[in-house]
This record gives sequence, C-alpha cells and structure tokens, in this order.
Amino acid sequence: RDICRIFSDAQKSTAGHRKAVIALRKIQEACCYEPVNFKKGKQQEDFDVNDFNTEIKRCLLRILAVRKAESAGDRVVRFLGTYLNVASQKDNEIASAGDPDATSALETPTSGLTSEILQMLLPLLSVKDKTIRFRATQITSHIIHSVDTLDENIFHQVRLALLKRIHDKEAPVRLQAVYGLGRVAAEVNPDEEKDDSESEDDDGVGQGVLEKLLNILQNDPAAEVRRNLLLNLPLNKEVLPYLLERARDADGSTRRALYARLLPALGDFRYLSLTHREKLLRWGLRDRDENVRKATARLFRERWIEDCAAMPADQAAQEEEGGEGKKPANQAADPSLDALLELLERIDVVNSGTETGIALTAMREFWEGRPDYVDYVSFPDTFWEDLSPELSFVARTFNDYCRTSGREDGYDGPRMLDAMVEEKLPEVTKFGFLLERELNRLLEAVQASAEDEDEEGEMEEERVQREFVVEQMLQMALTFDYSDEVGRRKMFQLMRTALAHAALPEESTRLVVELLRSVCGRDAKGEREFCQVVMEAVAEVHDTIMDDDDDDDETEKSTTEDSFHSATEHLEDSNEDGSPQAASKKKKSKQEKNLTPEEADHEQEKAMREIMINMKVLHIALCMLQNVGGELEDNANLVTMLNNLVVPAVRSKEAPVRERGFVCLGLCCLLNKNLAEENLNLFLHGFARGHPGLQTITLQILADILLTHPSLLAIPPSTQPLEASSTEMNAPAETNPHLKPLLKALTKSLKSPSPAVQATGATALAKLLLPALLPAANAEETLKHLVLTYFDPDTASNAQLRQSLTYFLPVYCHSRAENAERMVNVACGALGKLAVLRETLQDEADAAAEEAGVDEGMVKLSVVGQMLVDWTDPRKVVGFADAAGAAVGKGAAETHFVLAEQILERLVTSQVGKEERKVLLSMLGKLYLPEGGCGGELLATLLELVTEALESGVAVDAAGRNALGKLKTVLLRMMHDVMTVERGGGG
Amino acid sequence: PQRVRKEKEPFEIDFAAPMSQELAGQLYTKASSNAAISLPRNQWRSKTRNLLPDDKHFNSKDLLKLFLKPKAKLGSRKPGQG
Repeated sequence: RDICRIFSDAQKSTAGHRKAVIALRKIQEACCYEPVNFKKGKQQEDFDVNDFNTEIKRCLLRILAVRKAESAGDRVVRFLGTYLNVASQKDNEIASAGDPDATSALETPTSGLTSEILQMLLPLLSVKDKTIRFRATQITSHIIHSVDTLDENIFHQVRLALLKRIHDKEAPVRLQAVYGLGRVAAEVNPDEEKDDSESEDDDGVGQGVLEKLLNILQNDPAAEVRRNLLLNLPLNKEVLPYLLERARDADGSTRRALYARLLPALGDFRYLSLTHREKLLRWGLRDRDENVRKATARLFRERWIEDCAAMPADQAAQEEEGGEGKKPANQAADPSLDALLELLERIDVVNSGTETGIALTAMREFWEGRPDYVDYVSFPDTFWEDLSPELSFVARTFNDYCRTSGREDGYDGPRMLDAMVEEKLPEVTKFGFLLERELNRLLEAVQASAEDEDEEGEMEEERVQREFVVEQMLQMALTFDYSDEVGRRKMFQLMRTALAHAALPEESTRLVVELLRSVCGRDAKGEREFCQVVMEAVAEVHDTIMDDDDDDDETEKSTTEDSFHSATEHLEDSNEDGSPQAASKKKKSKQEKNLTPEEADHEQEKAMREIMINMKVLHIALCMLQNVGGELEDNANLVTMLNNLVVPAVRSKEAPVRERGFVCLGLCCLLNKNLAEENLNLFLHGFARGHPGLQTITLQILADILLTHPSLLAIPPSTQPLEASSTEMNAPAETNPHLKPLLKALTKSLKSPSPAVQATGATALAKLLLPALLPAANAEETLKHLVLTYFDPDTASNAQLRQSLTYFLPVYCHSRAENAERMVNVACGALGKLAVLRETLQDEADAAAEEAGVDEGMVKLSVVGQMLVDWTDPRKVVGFADAAGAAVGKGAAETHFVLAEQILERLVTSQVGKEERKVLLSMLGKLYLPEGGCGGELLATLLELVTEALESGVAVDAAGRNALGKLKTVLLRMMHDVMTVERGGGG
Repeated sequence: PQRVRKEKEPFEIDFAAPMSQELAGQLYTKASSNAAISLPRNQWRSKTRNLLPDDKHFNSKDLLKLFLKPKAKLGSRKPGQG
C-alpha cells in the first residue's frame, strides 16, 4: 500500500517529509472527504476512514520495536508529528470553511486518528519490554507536542499514564515522559493564571504535574532527563528559581544548557533579581567546565549588554527620524557608554567589583569579546569630572585588559593595546591630581558619614561609593610605569599624605602601602626608604588620634567612629586593653575606687579608642611587612616597629589586637631566621591555647616560616652542614628538636572541630610535603594522615579541605616517583584503617536502621582503592613517558610492583575483612606491570606471595581467584624472560 | 531471533511485514508490576538535588604561595638564607 511506502520513505531522511506529508494527506482526504470511488492509476480502491487509521496504526506498531539508537525510528516519529500537525490544520480549514462558527474543538478526521493512536499506545506504556516502552512514550509525547487540541478524555488518560513513567527504570523513557508532560504543564498553567474559575479539578492536576516535574528536575539521577526538563518547562515566576538552581547542576552539559540556551531565551536579564544575576555570573564564569565559562561570558557580553543597549539605540533611531531604520534584531547595537554603565550598575558593581568579586572576570571577558567597545571608549577630562563607581570600574578594567591581555604566555612585546592605553588614559602626573581629588572626596565622605546618625543613610552610601572609586584608581596606579620622575614624585607625595590619614579605610590603606612600595624603587635602598615613610605615617596616625583623645571634642571623636566599629564587632563587651599605658591607667582608676558613671564611661571609651589605634596602626604595619623582603636586622625602622608595636600587641589580651600582632610577628619571622626560631614555641603555644581564629593564624605562620627557612628543620649543623632538603639516609638517627612538636601541632589540627583550622592544617602539611621539607619517615606518616583525613566521613562537609586535598594528592604523587613510592607505602595501611572505619560506621547505621546513610557518608572502599591505584600509577608520574625508553630501570616503573607486593603481603599475613579483601584483590587486577619493570628479586618475592595467596585460599570467590591467577601468569612469564636473559648472559 | 532483527534494522524498517510472533509477544507482555519497570523508590530523591558543592577553586597557586604574603612567590628568596 501507499501508506506503507510513504512511511518507508519517511524513515530514510527528514528532507522528504514535506512531500510525504502532502502525499499522505491526499490519501487521507481521499478516504475521509470523498465517499465515492475515485480513479487513480491501475488500481481502483475504496477505503474509508477506518481503513486509513488502521493502516497508520499498523505501521506505527512496526516502529515500536525499533531500538533507541536507530535514528530511522526517530525520523518516522517526527514525520508522524509533522503530519498530524499539518493534517489537523487542514481539517480545521475545511471545517471552518463549511461552518465558520464551528470551534476548533470539533471532531475531525485527524483528531479521530490522533485519539485512536494514543488509545492504542496507552496500554503499551507499561509493557515489560523497555524498547516498546520507550517508543510508545516517545510517540505519545511527540504527539502531545505536535497537536494543539486533544480529546479531553484521552488527554486525561495519557497524562496519568505518562505520570507513571516519570519514575521509569530507564532514563530514556523518563526523558520522553517528562518531555510530554512539560507541554502538559505549560498548557494548564496559563489557563490557571488567566481564569481561576475554570474547573478546579483540571487545574489541580496540571499543578500536580508541574510539581512532580520540578521534583524530577531536582532529583532525577539522569542528567539528560534533568536537562530536557530544564529546556522544556514553561518559563514563569514560579518555575524560574528551580530552573536557575540548575546553574550548579552536577552535570556540565546541563549547566551549559542553562547558560547557552535557557538564559538567552529568557528575555531581558533585568527581570532577574540582583541576587540571581550575581550568582549566575559568579557560578558561570567560575565554573569548572570551560564550555560553561564560555557560554556565560557570551551571555554577559552579547545578551545582557544588548538588553541595556537596545533601549537607547531604539530611542536614538527614533530621534533620528526617518533614518535608516532599526537594525535587525540579531545585530548588536552600537557601543554605548550609557549601556555599559547601566549593565555595571545592574550587576551591582560596588559589591561585585571588589578584588574577589565576579565583575572583574566579567569585564575582562567583556573587553576580550567586544573589540568594538575597546575601540569606542574614551577617557577625556569630562569622564573624570564626576566619577561614579561604574565609570571608575570601566576605566580600571579597561586599563587591566590593555595591560595584561595576550601576556599570559609570556609575550611582552609592543602591541596595539599598549598604544591604546597611552593614547586614551591620562598620563601619570595628571592621574595623580585626579586621584588626589578622589582621595579628598573619600575623606570628606568618611567624615560626613561618621557624623550622620543614620547608619544606612545616604552619607553611608556615598562613603561606600567614594571608597570604591578610590580603590579602582589605586588599582590602576599600581600598574603604571613610574620612570617619569615628575609623575613618580607626585604619586609618592600623594600616597605619603594619604597614609597619614587615620580615616583612610583599610582596603585603600593596603593599596596605598603597596603603591608606595612600587614608587620607592625595588632595591634595598628603596625598601628602607619605604619603611621609613610608612613608619612616619604610623607615628602621625598615632598622634592624630591621641590628640583627639586629649581634647574632648565631639566631632573629632566621630571621625574615627567608622574604624571604631569594625574593631568592636569582634570585641563584644570586653573592654580591657592589654597595652601597658591602658593597663596602668586602669589600675590607677581602680585604686581611686570612686568612679562616677560618667567617668567610667569615659574610661571605657578611652580603652576602646586605644584598641582602635592599635588595630589601625597594626594594619598599616602588616601591609608594610607584606611588601618587605630584606633582612630584618639591616632595617632599623623595622626593628623599632617590632619592639614598640608588634611585641606589645602579641601580649595584648584583646583577641583582635593579639591576632594582628601575631600576623605581624609572623611576617617579621619570615625576614629573620633567628627571630623565627626564637618564636616557634610562642606560635606553638598560640596554637595549643588559642581559639580557632588564632589557631588558623598560627598554623599559617608556622607553615610559612618552615617554607621560608627550611633549614630550621634540618639536622643540627654539627653533623649536617646547612642541608636544606632533608636527606633520607640519616633521618632517624639524629632528629631535629623542632620537628616533633611542629608536626604534632600540624597533625593535631586535622582533628580540629573547626573546619577552617582543619583545612588550614591540611593545606599547611601539603605545602610542606610538596618541596620535600620533611624527613622520609615523617613525610610518610604525614601523608598517611592526609589520606585518612581525606576519606574520613567527618570531613565530608568541609569543602575547603576536601577540595584542597583532591588537588594536592594526585599532584604530589605524580610530580615525583619518590612521592608515588611513598604513597605505595602508606596505601595498604590507610586502606585497612578506612575499612575498619567503614565497618564501624556501617554497624552504627545498621543499628539506626538507615540504609542509604552509609554510602552518602563515606565513599565506597572500592573507590578508595581505585584512587590509590591511580595515584601510584607509574605512567602518570611526570617525565615517565620521556624516561620510558632508557631508564625504566629502578624506581620509574616499579611503583605498582611494590604496591602488588604490599597488597599480597597484607592479604597473606593479616586477617582482612571481607570488603577490604575484595577491594585489595580488585586492585591487583588494575595494576600496571610492564615487562622488565622490576628486578628479579622483587619478581621472585611476588611469585612466592601469589602462590601462597592462591594456596591459602584468601580469595573466596571466582573473581578473586581469577585476579590472582592472572597475576601469577604474568609474573611467571616475566620470570621466565628474566631467567632467559640471565642464562643467555651467563653462558 | 533477536540477532536477526538487529542486523536487519540498521537499514530499514519493513512496514509491510506482517506482525511477527515476537513483536506481538513484546507488545502484549505486560510488566509484572509497576514496580518492576520503575526506578527504586530510594532513587526518587537525591540528597544533593544533583547540585555541585561550592567550588573553592583551589589551585597550584594556593600550594605555592605563602599564607601571609600571597604576593611573594616561593623560592624568590633563596632558601635557607639568613
């Protein structure tokens, strides 16, 4: 029959579908609309509607068993959808031609056909065979998408049947079901919004569908199901949060689908909330998957900017009146500074444009992908006159982009962009004056906001904005070239003056100090000048505030209120100051014993101010120390500062003051080894006794000290003259006195209840392991601790710790063959401990009758085994491929042989639990054991162990015995080769 | 029998073919129960909602820089100096 032939053609390619649709329609019309015979070719046939429908259904049955991978099946399904769509339209045309008043709900031949098909498929949705289920669901869903109206009754049945399939065992079936229901949900929802009085029953079901689908969107284990839903759900307010949440979907393609397809389709981004915009940008631009990052960057610089640019562009076109008319929709609007400013405002650049904020990345991508804007922007005098945060951010990011772009790969020659910076931005001296103006504005704003009672008022907002502008300009100034002496002097004077203002906010202070350092010249002389200037400023700041203290002027007190606040936040209600003067004053006043309430208040205020000064001054010192690299003793200013400022702060009883004191002292210790050695115990003490904040700081200090002065850990000079890196040979014989307490403290931090301390400790240990600062035995012990901590379910929620170790462990093992060997040595021990840990957990979970709990809490032992095998894989060690030819000999390819030995040893000699045994045996099967990879001796040992393992029956199941058997065969062959070579060589 | 079908179908679906015994069997064998063709219930919910944890963006720089002086590169000072 013809229908058969049409379907046959339709499966081959979609290109012929249009013609096929017409042909099939002809047959249908012949069957339905012309009851009398008609002549066609040689055969005279007389078929009616039923015959037609039956034949179509018969053909459809044929594709139900077509496997999912077969695209021919998909093509037929598409053909059917297209056909039903076209045919029902034609039906309606015919119907309304006959009776103009008839509604589209009228029964037509095609709607009858559709109903019949759906009716036929309905029971097939729940058959046992998964292919049939898949095709049936696919056709059903596709029909729902293809036709506009459906018989109420059938629609209801189909919906119920599909709802059952959203939990199908097979992901493809779920995907199709969800696809169909997405349309259903879209169908019901607008109705509900339009008219609440409509049959509640129906709305209830539609709502139910949507709810179930959202549930699937969050919970379905198959990414493709979630992805399909993401793109097929109706876009409305209610659904949106669920869709946007997928920006963090575990599956990369799903995240990409959101950024590359859903969001561009969503329309104007300004309808999204500020939080959503910021989050989407941040997540997308920092995604682990490059494609997601790219998609987000495009979204930002091609769609979001257009949303802002479209309006002014339209207006411009209208104003031109009779101009060339509007641009096509898919073409970018002309660059517009206003649009860019609006875009920046809409992503709240004052908050997202800070050093860790996402706006920096976003703008970098923007300049990168919009050369038209790079060309377009200019910075004339008017630009700087009324500098808003957004404007300053445009200038700053433009400057950054031009100075760094294309330099990632070390290229540093002359480029177009350099010239562009020179041409567009003001020269250093002029910039200095502009910066001066903004600094003054900032200081005024600080003053004004301090006087203003309203904490969130206009004044405060102004202050925040001025601060942001100054930060941007300072960032720009840091990139300038100061070979021009006039400009350099201007900047030097400006920074020197700015630093002496007690009211300068912290981040600006940090930048000012850094800038000062770069203006002072890189050599030792420059460094001394730098310290000199900073210490002068410190003295001035100190004096300013002390002066304030003497006369009780209200306004002056309030100038410092701002920084005062930041200090009190941590202080709570403690009002005791540790600095000597304050303490003595306190004692005096206590002796007098007759304090009036006003006097007591006054005392308290005084103490607070004391803390505030300390904090401010210590902050400046800290910023300075971060920019100093020379020897401490050569720099009189630094020694004075250490004694007068830092040492008292370390002894302070105020936690924030003491913490800053510690950091400063730590920084000083980096400059001088003796000072570091003297203070090791102080830091250890701080770790042992301090609260988590101080613990984190001391851990960082200790790690930094050891990294800067590795000789502190070396064997005492009497036996080993200043050998920086530990040598494995004489490690145990003589130990360094510092080693034990240091490692003890660091290892202890891994068990800390504070996640921050834990993570810092792990990173600190990782840093020490990487450059091989620890003696071999200690390194091994430490590595084992890290591995155990990594897999410990207690650290599962500590993302910082987990992610740093996820990075570190493979890097460590694959960077040097010795490190991989070290991992081999700890592998079995760690695995054993983890097995015990898991068993205990499992027992507990059993007791709590919780089935899923264990797997979620701790990774499976088999996964641990796999990772251990991977970490110790000799092929992954850097340089292995290069060395493979010549020096495969000892060490390079041996790691897995040694691991095999360890595993077998463990299997043979100790009582091993069932799960651990299974994992050990499966690890054996995954080892890389190249021929000639190890010496004859080890080979012999291995053979012995394998034989023993086989004979003692450690492997209870066939899989285990196979693994052992296979290993033995491999080893035997190698042994044979070795023997042959030896014999050949000998004879 | 399954084998034969597999080899035939990559090319074409034979719409004219009569209903085979096997197809009929497939079509009319109902699943023993809804549960047999459904996802186990414990997979209906995912604790993480299939979302990623917060990325901390740990990288090689974090391992190679000092905690206290993030700008100073390790090894820029000669080790053991002083």
